[in-house]
Amino acid sequence: MGFSKLTETKVLLKQYFKDIISIEEGGEQRLIIDLQSKDITSMINHLKDFMDFKHLSMISCVDWPEENKFEIVYILTSYSKNIVLMLKTKIDRKNPKLQSIMSLWPQAVTYEIELNEMFGVFFEGNDRMGEEFILEDWDDIPPMRRDFDSLEYANKNFKFRDERKDKKIIREFISEHYDEWRKK
Amino acid sequence: MKTTKLYLGPQHPGITGNMMIELDVEGNKILKSKTHVGYLHRGFEKLMERRTYIQSFPIVCRICVPEPDVNENNYARAVEKLSGLEVPERAKWIRTMVLEMARLQSYLLWMGGQSGSMGLYTMPQWTIGDRDYLLDRFEELTGGRVYHLYVWPGGVRKDLPIGFKTRMLDLMDYLESRMKDYTKLMFENAIFKKRAIGTGVIPKDKALEWGVVGPVLRGTGIKHDVRIDEPYEIYDKLEFEVPTYEGGDIYSRALVRKFEFMQSISIIRQIMDKIPEGPIYNRIPNPFKWKIPKGYTYVKLESSRGEFGYFMASDGSEKLRRVNVRGPAYVHGISLLEKILPGSRLGDVSTILNSLGVCPPEMER
Amino acid sequence: MDDLKRPTLDSDFTCDMAFNKITKWAQKNSLWLLAYGTGCGAIELSPTMTSRYDWSRLGIRGSATPRQADLLLITGYLSTKTLKRVIRSYEQMQDPKYVIGFGSCTINGGMYYDSYNTIKQLDLYIPVDVYINGCMPRPEAVLSGLAYLKDKIGDKKADGWIKYKQNFEWYRENQKKILKSFNGDNMPDKYNW
Repeated sequence: MGFSKLTETKVLLKQYFKDIISIEEGGEQRLIIDLQSKDITSMINHLKDFMDFKHLSMISCVDWPEENKFEIVYILTSYSKNIVLMLKTKIDRKNPKLQSIMSLWPQAVTYEIELNEMFGVFFEGNDRMGEEFILEDWDDIPPMRRDFDSLEYANKNFKFRDERKDKKIIREFISEHYDEWRKK
Repeated sequence: MKTTKLYLGPQHPGITGNMMIELDVEGNKILKSKTHVGYLHRGFEKLMERRTYIQSFPIVCRICVPEPDVNENNYARAVEKLSGLEVPERAKWIRTMVLEMARLQSYLLWMGGQSGSMGLYTMPQWTIGDRDYLLDRFEELTGGRVYHLYVWPGGVRKDLPIGFKTRMLDLMDYLESRMKDYTKLMFENAIFKKRAIGTGVIPKDKALEWGVVGPVLRGTGIKHDVRIDEPYEIYDKLEFEVPTYEGGDIYSRALVRKFEFMQSISIIRQIMDKIPEGPIYNRIPNPFKWKIPKGYTYVKLESSRGEFGYFMASDGSEKLRRVNVRGPAYVHGISLLEKILPGSRLGDVSTILNSLGVCPPEMER
Repeated sequence: MDDLKRPTLDSDFTCDMAFNKITKWAQKNSLWLLAYGTGCGAIELSPTMTSRYDWSRLGIRGSATPRQADLLLITGYLSTKTLKRVIRSYEQMQDPKYVIGFGSCTINGGMYYDSYNTIKQLDLYIPVDVYINGCMPRPEAVLSGLAYLKDKIGDKKADGWIKYKQNFEWYRENQKKILKSFNGDNMPDKYNW
């Protein structure tokens, strides 16, 4: 049931968009599409208006520092076709910019603000860029980037509790005495 | 009249967790609202990038506190999908039972919160007390009351204990009999009806565009449920109905949840009746050296508040590259709330929050 | 009621001491808790306060505003953004006031030891009278922690709030290390940061 619609969608998309880098099936009811970043807005517009992908599930971002790219992933759902699309596009890590899709879905604003805060991706056309959403007084690089080391930051900024004064390793102590206590 | 700025939360008894709503009010009427989140941010997605696939399990269930099993199940299915690991048949049945138990306890918690926010303080005393019996069954099955760490990639951790079936069926009978009392006290209560009907209305034609999911969507009369659209685990082998009610207000959402509560009881009875024998998990390779092939996946399931999705990207190493959690409250609590609060009364904010199932920890993770 | 012993004649009875005893007795048997669920531990508070475990037996109930509360429960990890609100809530509370650190993450960071946004050691920022460990602590553990706090108040050992006043500068310095915008610009005049 899902398979025929999946193939149909795949063929339709290939006909409509000649510039698609790759389009593949990722398991049942999933399509993974690679796109160039300039096509993303027109593709999403087309999907929403003509192909019934009415539900925006998520906008996410994957960091690939070894290729110097951010990969933005849009996940769209069509309830009538029962297909989940993953639209991926790679943008430059130095100057990450993309067109905003806030005019299509109001909830996209929230996702875009979060990506802006957590990765530093700039969405053109979203007037709430740069707003503090989750973090407060953050003065380091955006925390979800791969080159931000969370443990190092925690060691630098927070003080950990000192270890036990008698240097006893409590786990070993418990495992040694476990059988003895159990008998009591 | 003078416009006042009012900050509701983060320390406020009527709010459903640690979050803040900034309101512009004129008298009793709300003109504008804005949600502020981030009080519970722990950076789960970052922490999971630092851990191996199995080490991420203890933290994954902490993403949503009222319903941790949903996260475990989603994460396990995402890992299984990427690695191609098979799950035995019996484990799938047990997983479905755990998910339905989680739905029941979440609805009991919601009933307490929803009626408590309207001043009906007997309901929380009853429902949260009854929820504890479900937690007892969870404890018997998994060893934990709140966080279970039970669903594992490749199956579940332990088999059902001896005598679990009878105790579970007894509990289902008890909960079904209690529903009569709940109906009298809450769903047919004049105070509840007066405050719920016509409050917090989501228009039917806008609901899909605004990204509404779950019982809130079905309360507007649109029938979508991940359990039917994209059956996971063994939902295609079970018989259950998905209710819809027209109206889009708090009352129709409450009726949807009431109906689903009874459906969950019926599902658990069916599972107890039909559960096959067999192994409960497939062994995974050495977890410290377990490399998962490169790929992307998006898994979703129907939690008690709607579509709960996990996006996962792996790069072929022992640790995952990126995981992103889509909780229903991410949309319900921020953009939807900002749309439906203006125009309603100040006293209704807490009831609307409860009826949407806003759960802050999954908004900011 | 048993704790309220009648002073005998040969003890060094003073009016002040009797008054002190009565207030301590009253304080420990009517703890009002600030309804602020700061972390995930708040989920185990609802069973603790409702019919099955029922903390009203110990004279505890929730209160809506910090001005009326005696007890602040830090339920689990604190992100830095919440820490700021917790400190303000704590300073708004009337003396005497008590703090319970609830869950392993308040003691040493727990499983969020490498998180960039949660504090690792609560007693650097506000004084803690009782810690309840576990992730999450069961309602029985919460009740036992509360009972322990009551004993401590009765024995006059729950003196965190006095410690906070005496070592105010030290606490404030620790707080400022983490909360970068606490430089006095965005606070009212009388507020001392």
